[in-house]
Amino acid sequence: MPENDAQTPGGTPRWVKVFGIVALVVVVVVVVMLITGRGDHDPGRHTVSGDSRATALFAVVRQP
Amino acid sequence: VIMPPHLRKLALTAHVASSVGWLGAVGAFLALAVVGLTSQDAQTVRGAYRVMEPSAWFVLVPLAFASLLTGLVQSLGTTWGLFSHYWVLFKLLINLVATVVLLTYMETFSFMARVAADPSADLGDVRNVSPLLHAAAALLLLLIATILAVYKPRGMTRYGRRRHEQRTVLMP
Repeated sequence: MPENDAQTPGGTPRWVKVFGIVALVVVVVVVVMLITGRGDHDPGRHTVSGDSRATALFAVVRQP
Repeated sequence: VIMPPHLRKLALTAHVASSVGWLGAVGAFLALAVVGLTSQDAQTVRGAYRVMEPSAWFVLVPLAFASLLTGLVQSLGTTWGLFSHYWVLFKLLINLVATVVLLTYMETFSFMARVAADPSADLGDVRNVSPLLHAAAALLLLLIATILAVYKPRGMTRYGRRRHEQRTVLMP
């Protein structure tokens, strides 16, 4: 893999720089999604039919 | 500490088995996620989401930790080192990120299992896109780690180059 072996004058291979940039972009996208709420990790966020699932679950939780 | 050859082979076997096993287990979760989203049978859909939590605790989490620990042994017990080569460093980061995300995701597995077990919950509420997205992302990450392990692309970190130079001076 000659492409992977390519070293820049500073000594860091090109593939490492590409990996680093891609990783940085992914991290930024995930952080932006978390901040804007699009990737909120509240477990119920991704359900197919939306808010009604909370009603169903909490109705069960409230039962004695 | 450099391991003797027979121990190195054993450690490598353990690392490959746990890492590839983790990859395969994530593939099974991807299949479960697709079944949960697409099946027309209510029991199958509920079953898919209920089985995810115990399967994750008994398979994904142990394999993730086994992969991490055997990887640490493999890198520290051989000449590769943990911070000397970029490919080892990237594999470590991938493993750490995937393990932390998995552990935080256990709460979501638990939530989905509770909704699926609730007979009053609508099937649309049981179905969840989240496992599909997370399993696909995990599969991609673990595939990248596997490719790095097989190809071992060249490139030493600054620390690795310094260590290499010191060794060359000590043992010309």
